[in-house]
Formats: sequence, C-alpha cells, structure tokens
Amino acid sequence: MSMDEIFGLFQGLMTGFGIAFSLTNLSFALIGALLGTIVGILPGLGPSATISLLLPISFKIGSPVTSIIMMAGIFYGAMYGGSTTSILVNIPGEAASVVTCIDGYQMALKGRAGPALGIAAIGSFIAGTVGVIGLTFVAPPLAEFALKFGPPEYFALTLLGLLMATLLGEGSIIKGLIMVVLGLLLGAVGLDPISGAIRFTWGFFMLQEGIDFVTLAMGMFGIGEILINLEKELTTELVTKKVSNLWPNLKDWADSKWAIVRGSFIGFFIGILPGGGAVISSLVSYAVEKRCSKHPEEFGKGAIQGVAGPEAANNSAASASFIPLLTLGIPGNAAIAMIFAALLIQGVQPGPFLITEHPDIFWGVVASMYIGNVMLLILNLPLVGMWVQLLRVPYAILAPIIVLFCCIGVYSIRNTVFDIWIMGIFGVIGYIFRKVNLDPGPLILAFVLGRILEPALRQALLMSAGSPLIFFQRPISGTLMGFLLLFILIQIVVTLRKRWKG
Amino acid sequence: MGKWKHPGPGFFPFGLAIALVLLSFVLIFRHWKKDSSPAPFWSGRTWLRPLLGTAVLIFYALVVDLFGFIPTTFIFLIIWMWVIERLRWRTLLSISIGTTVVLYLIFSFFLEVPLPQGFLGL
Repeated sequence: MSMDEIFGLFQGLMTGFGIAFSLTNLSFALIGALLGTIVGILPGLGPSATISLLLPISFKIGSPVTSIIMMAGIFYGAMYGGSTTSILVNIPGEAASVVTCIDGYQMALKGRAGPALGIAAIGSFIAGTVGVIGLTFVAPPLAEFALKFGPPEYFALTLLGLLMATLLGEGSIIKGLIMVVLGLLLGAVGLDPISGAIRFTWGFFMLQEGIDFVTLAMGMFGIGEILINLEKELTTELVTKKVSNLWPNLKDWADSKWAIVRGSFIGFFIGILPGGGAVISSLVSYAVEKRCSKHPEEFGKGAIQGVAGPEAANNSAASASFIPLLTLGIPGNAAIAMIFAALLIQGVQPGPFLITEHPDIFWGVVASMYIGNVMLLILNLPLVGMWVQLLRVPYAILAPIIVLFCCIGVYSIRNTVFDIWIMGIFGVIGYIFRKVNLDPGPLILAFVLGRILEPALRQALLMSAGSPLIFFQRPISGTLMGFLLLFILIQIVVTLRKRWKG
Repeated sequence: MGKWKHPGPGFFPFGLAIALVLLSFVLIFRHWKKDSSPAPFWSGRTWLRPLLGTAVLIFYALVVDLFGFIPTTFIFLIIWMWVIERLRWRTLLSISIGTTVVLYLIFSFFLEVPLPQGFLGL
C-alpha cells in the first residue's frame, strides 16, 4: 500500500467521522446499539429477525447512511448482549453466544458472574474495534481488486460462498445444500431477470414481482422462531439477582488477554470468509482456547478464557463480515443478507463500486462502528444490571407483539394482506424446518445470492458461447473454482475416513 | 430452457431441480441404511400451542381488512394471551390496550405507514 493510499484511507475515515458524529447519526447509532443489546439479551429473538422486522420501515428512518448505521448497530450490539443471558441464565441470548454458556454459567454458579460479564464486554470491545480497524484497511483495496470481476468471477464467488455457508454451518451438509437449492429456487419466482418471462407464479398476479425478501425473512425467522418457541415454556431463571464486581482481577486478566487477542484474529479471518460469520468463529475460538490452555481440564468448569475468546471472536467476526458485503456485494451470512436487502431497498447497489460511488455510506458506517463499540462498552459494563431486568419480561407478552410487528411490516411493503398470507406460509414452513433440523440460514442467504448467481451464470455462458470452461480459464474465477473443488474434495475425504473408522 | 449457448428462463431452475432430486436421494439413502426408528414429530401435546398461534395469525390475515387495524390488533392480542398463554384478565387487558396504542402511534403517527382501515374507519 502506498503512502497516497494510506492518506486516502485516513481522509475517508475523517469524512466518515464527520458524518457519523452528526446528531441524527449519533442517535441512530445509539438506538441501534440499544436495540442490539436488548435483542441480544432476549432469548428467542436474534439480530437477523430484528433487522428483518425493521426492513419495511428502513427508508422511513432516514437516509441510507442513517438506517444502515442503525442496523449495523443492532447486528454487532447483539453480540455484546448475547453473552449476558448465556452467563446468567445458561440460555444463549443469540446463536453466537452458545459456547459462552459452557464456562460463563459455571463462573456465575461460583459467584463470579461479575468478572464473566466484565471480561465478555471488554473482550467484545477490543475485538470489535480490531475488527473495524481491519475493515478500514482491508475493504478499500479489496474493492479495487473486485473491479476486475466479470460474470464468471461473480458466479464462482457466489457459488463458493454458498458452499462455504453449508460446509461451515452446523448440522448435516446434505441438508444445508438442500436448503441452498430451495433458497435459489424461491429466488427464481417471478419475472426472469434476463428475458422477462414469468416463472412459478401459479397464476397469482401478486407473485410476478417475485417473493419479497422481507416477507420470506420475517416468515422464516420471525414467525417460524415464535412457533417453535411456543412449544416449550421459555423460563428465564437468573443465577444471581445482583451482579457485583464487574472488573476482572489481575489473574483473570493474565488468563484472558491472549484469549482475547487470538479471538480477535480468529473472528476477523472467519468473518471475512464467504459463508463465515459470528456463530462459527465463536465455536472455533472455544476449541482453540481449549487447545492452547495449560489447564484444559478447567474448561467446562468456569475457565475465563472460555468466555473471553469466543466473545471476542464473535464481535470481530461481526465487523469483518461487512467486508464481503461492502466490497464484493456478496453477503456472507443471514444477518448480513438482511443489511444487503436494506441497502437495496434504499436504492444502493452493494458491490465494488460502493466505496467510490457512495463514500459517505461506506465511511459513515465504518466510522459509526468505532463509535458504536464505545457506546456498547458503556451500555454493557456499568448498566448491565438494568438490562438483566429485561429478562423478567415474559415471552408470553413478547411473542404476540413480535407477530404483530411482522404482520404490520409485511403489510406496509405493498399494502396488501396477500403478503401476510405468504409470510404465514413461510412461517409454518420455517417451523417445520426447525423441527426436522433444517437451518433456514443458508436458504435466506441463497435466496439473496440467487439474484447474483443466475444472471452471472447465464451472462458468462453467453460470453463463452455455451462453454462452461470459461469458469476455469480465467485466472480469478479459475482460482475460486479451484478452491471450490478443493473444499468439496476435502469434505469427501473427511466423510469417507469417518465411515472407515466408524 | 434454451441451450448452453443461449440459456433461457428455465435453464437455472431446471439445473436446481436436478440438484434437488440428487440431494434428496442421498438423504433418503442415508437414512434408509441407518434404519433407526425416528423420534415422534410431536411429543405429547407440543403441537397444540404452535397450531393455536398459526390459527390466530390466520384469523388476523382474514379479518384485518374488514375490521381495520385497531380492533383486529386488540382482539388478536387478547386471544393470543388468553387462549395460548392463559394470563390473568387484568394483565391481559392492560397489555392489549397499551400495545395497540403504542403500535398505532409508532406505525401510523411517526412512520406514516398506511394501515388497513376497515368499515369502521379505524
């Protein structure tokens, strides 16, 4: 990187801070951080569902910059809040805090809830900031590189992203791939983007515009999640009523400082990967910490590294997963796919041109993330006792309100009850998917990426006069396809090995 | 469908359909070999509450255009918290009224979203 480019980055960042420090943007960053903390703490309501609830009203909030600042705040804010519930109730507040339950809850049982919450917040802050610094320096050159991408490159890249999302995701790979294919098929409903032919509308005029992303996301994530939660009584019993001594002692610091550093880097690199994200990074970090520790037997009995590492990793990954979105226009996971949709609703096409065409959006959002992390540290460290009270709000009251939010939200897109029906149908499908262990995340991701994948595939084939070899002959797409085949090969070898041993 | 040279509108979905069939066969084949008796889809009466939730949602979609946003939302909240959650009447009524008012204020007043009006104009 030349001096000029580095100077350009700082200039951009300064403009960004100018935008982020305006009163409107500061208040919406704060609202985002607050909402993120709240949905992070509340089990049964995650950041993806919350952002999808806000999508229909996103353009009423204000300019693209303002609404994306808020939604980003919800996303990384949830990473902070999630740990609180994991530690105090032993239920993950959101998916990326699952592993925090293991040692965080044990610490709370031993009367060390304070330091556990403290190290989670501080680790989150350090890692979140590391992630944003990485975003600041990696995104602009990557976007410039991506300017060379044509349809074959985009096809290879989206395909790689979808494959990685299923390989890195939890549960069966075959089931993940089925969800990807279903998502791509759902994305094909409506007018064909190239020829204008009508596909899969079954005579419904309302389906000609295709299935709206918001309707699908609210059904799958909002309604589907509520229906599955109705099955069990969600009771939240706190270990301790009062949380004291948030500040970790010297031994805690010594134990967890390297865990935080490692977590930050693990999170960053997994966050950049297409298909990677906060959930996976926290799992990887926990495994790494257990390996690195001199006392692995303490894990599961209240090891502070088991809280510090994963909590750092999920925050760093949350920041880093903005990189593929803002530079390539390719969202890596379901929550980022929601922000992708929000940009489209605002009329902004995410992609390599975003930084040059909308520098205010890119730098404004990046700068707001530095500020947002400071806000979240303050919200989560001294005020954590206040948020804990939220866990007293029973799900019995929350659930119908969320359902109403979904109904009004989808209704407001086109002013038609038809969309409430569609959402309800996807809600029931989402419920059934969850019952049979099908994760709707890859489906949502594939639905969004299908609109990039299909035109790219067809344009590439037009370019090459029908030869699929075009994907392998061009250097960048060839490399990407090489990785794709390599990952498939590794997966097959691993599966076969397991077979033979078992 | 088109050809490789000129892929038509059915080209991509057809490819997906083939992939879906293949993947489904793999999934079926795997479970065939395992031959384990699966856990029941619903254990006990766990199906009841999700079913009721869906029913209340269908009710909402059916009548919201007719009765309008305010009455339907209010009735929806009462039914949900009474039938599904069995809350006490006093809590139930106060939350229903409060939520309806707050939602109306947020969506209609601040965000100026057009809400269904119904024959009462509410």
